[in-house]
Amino acid sequence: MNEKVVLTGNQAIARGFYEAGGLIASSYPGSPTVGIIENMNNYKEIYSEFSTNEKVALEVAMGASFGGVRSLCSMKHVGVNICADPLMTFTQSTINGGFVLISGDDPGMHSSQNEQDNRVFGKFANMAILDPSDSQESKDFTKIGLELSENYSMPFMLRITSRLCHNRSVVNLEERKDIDIKAFEKDAYKYCMLPPYTEKAQYFMKERLQKLEDYAYNTDLNKLEEKEETDTIVITSGLVYQHLKEIDLDASIYKLGMVYPISIKKVKELSKKYKNIIILEEMMPFIENELKINGIDCKGKEYFSFTGEIQIEDVEKGLEKAGLIKERKLNEKQRLKVPSRSPQFCSGCPHRPIYDILKKAKVNVIGDIGCYSMGVLPPFEVHNINMSMGSSIGIVKGMRKAWDLAGNKKPLVAMIGDGTFFHSGVTGFINLMHKLDKNANMTIIILDNKTTAMTGGQPNASSDKEMDVSIEELLQTIGFERIKVLNQYSYKKAKSVIDEEIKHEGLSIIVATGPCALQYRMRHPHFYVDPDICISCRSCIRTNCPPLLMKKYDGHEKLKSFIDPDMCVGCSICAQVCPVNAIKRSKPDDDLKNK
Amino acid sequence: MDGKNILIAGVGGQGLVIATKIISEAALEAGYDVKTNDVIGLSQRGGKVYGSVKIDSKVYSPNIPHGECDILLAMEPMEGYRYSHMLKDNGMAIVNTYRIPSTSIQQEVEEYPEGMLADLKQKYNVSEIDVIKVGKELGNTKVGNTVLIGIMAKKLDIKKETWEKVIQKNVPEKFIDHNIKAFNIGYSYK
Repeated sequence: MNEKVVLTGNQAIARGFYEAGGLIASSYPGSPTVGIIENMNNYKEIYSEFSTNEKVALEVAMGASFGGVRSLCSMKHVGVNICADPLMTFTQSTINGGFVLISGDDPGMHSSQNEQDNRVFGKFANMAILDPSDSQESKDFTKIGLELSENYSMPFMLRITSRLCHNRSVVNLEERKDIDIKAFEKDAYKYCMLPPYTEKAQYFMKERLQKLEDYAYNTDLNKLEEKEETDTIVITSGLVYQHLKEIDLDASIYKLGMVYPISIKKVKELSKKYKNIIILEEMMPFIENELKINGIDCKGKEYFSFTGEIQIEDVEKGLEKAGLIKERKLNEKQRLKVPSRSPQFCSGCPHRPIYDILKKAKVNVIGDIGCYSMGVLPPFEVHNINMSMGSSIGIVKGMRKAWDLAGNKKPLVAMIGDGTFFHSGVTGFINLMHKLDKNANMTIIILDNKTTAMTGGQPNASSDKEMDVSIEELLQTIGFERIKVLNQYSYKKAKSVIDEEIKHEGLSIIVATGPCALQYRMRHPHFYVDPDICISCRSCIRTNCPPLLMKKYDGHEKLKSFIDPDMCVGCSICAQVCPVNAIKRSKPDDDLKNK
Repeated sequence: MDGKNILIAGVGGQGLVIATKIISEAALEAGYDVKTNDVIGLSQRGGKVYGSVKIDSKVYSPNIPHGECDILLAMEPMEGYRYSHMLKDNGMAIVNTYRIPSTSIQQEVEEYPEGMLADLKQKYNVSEIDVIKVGKELGNTKVGNTVLIGIMAKKLDIKKETWEKVIQKNVPEKFIDHNIKAFNIGYSYK
């Protein structure tokens, strides 16, 4: 087999796992790594799942490794925080079948709440870290990682970035190699991490890394590209290496495929040959610090940004600062001002009416992570706080206690989606019952659209296609009494329930249901505006549905609202908020009347 | 063919990902090295998105350096204009004229800019077309990107049959006919 195809980094990792004889892959969906598990479905030999959260996903993959098969676990960078507890012990124990953890880092925070550099996490956890620079390496490093993992009895991290997950580049396909399942042999020193067994494990962990550092001295994973008659060497890894290759630079390059551990012996040898060592890396000065703490003189972050993606232009600017290249003149930007364009709720999204209602209610709202995080953005600007997965439930309790102690009785609302609820909201809900003040005014709205919408509609415990767990029944089992279920498309009813529950002095939970308009392909006859009836009040416009716009009609002086029929999916919310019935359905139908 | 750098700009949800896939597979079929990057993630839905395709005998970075783009495919005029400084002098812009207003325009905080096309025409070669209109005539408004790819394909040294083969491979079976027609409308567009 010698077939060349173009693959994304995510597809290439899935392919690498397949070729390496991998059998069990788990994940929690999060940009940028969603495509890895989605592509595993193409290989019938592999069992893959989206677990309820990253901790569970890691535990599933750990179990598979202990069981003797090659396993993989993928997540976005912040997901590693969630699975940190089992991870820190897993790296102290041993593996049986090869194991690779994929951490999808997001320089520039394209779809993340922070920009943590998980190379630091890898080092913290005593894992080896591989850092690919294109799709071919993403595939190769997955395979090499699994193999080295077995050779050194340790879990490996494959650190990949958003740009690489989603880039497409040419990959050579190879055949799958079937790997024998290893027998599990009972050995408390290997698998039971309690004293007295753990002390030995500490030494084992250190020795493995030392051996791997010796391996790093002349592994093919790291590439030395030497130029003659230059006194400068650039040490780099990942995508920025490819950017560097676009620039005609009079310097040697040492490209690290394995960024931890680094062979200090090798770099010390290089430092004798070169006067200047420049470190080019995105986000934190990881390689730079590794060299500096080992007494190697080098420069890095004084030339390149500590945050955001480093683009080709940024590499040029940094090298210019370092005195290695001359300035390049860039084209000027546009003459006309280009308006901003932020992401927004889709046409027909069931969350939009809830945010319109909350905006009108003028309450303090604590948001969470999901599509509905867009409640932070204009025009709604409803969320006052938005932190991390599942945090809204714990935060609302803490804030309520604080306000009550200070005598502030203003209502507090918390939002959470169904995916987030099952990911890490449930424990917060159970904690809510603990020392609960009867009159503490908290309103929690669970937005149940039956899918993990933000990442493209993966199944979760709420999905009717999968486990179909009833959020309402689960909450009743925990002991919650005041739970209201409402249909998000039924605007007036929803508004009266939400307004009433906000006033209620005590805890109330609202489960607002409406299927994700994108995932369930909502398509009803579109609506149109009768400009003779429209009073230009902009009630419909404020719901922020994408097809709506104020427009000049012939024969009317004032701007009136207009609905683009090509974008409207017929959810009816604009018609429901119109005070004068100027918005009408293009064709009568019965399937979406107010229920 | 000399190397070509193609930048695609549009609004999240317009199909930028599949467009880069089609272009990259056609380039590989034609024997080139190719790299793309594009922005994914539902957090980008309705937001500004851009991607790149680089085709050459050997490609390193998937990103296009400022001012080194040969062809700009604008799936939406304002988004195309936003990234037009990435074009080379005398580069080519293929612009879908169907407008998608952003939130700030809908909420009357900012206005949709007028005169963008005239401005582009002063510096670049511009082809403009309303692909939604073309799509409606074909009975499918989702084929717009294929029309734009058709216009661009004419400028690249990749066989027409290669494009048609790759399009057939990448679109759902029941839409193949619509897409091939859409590609040909683009390919013969003056």
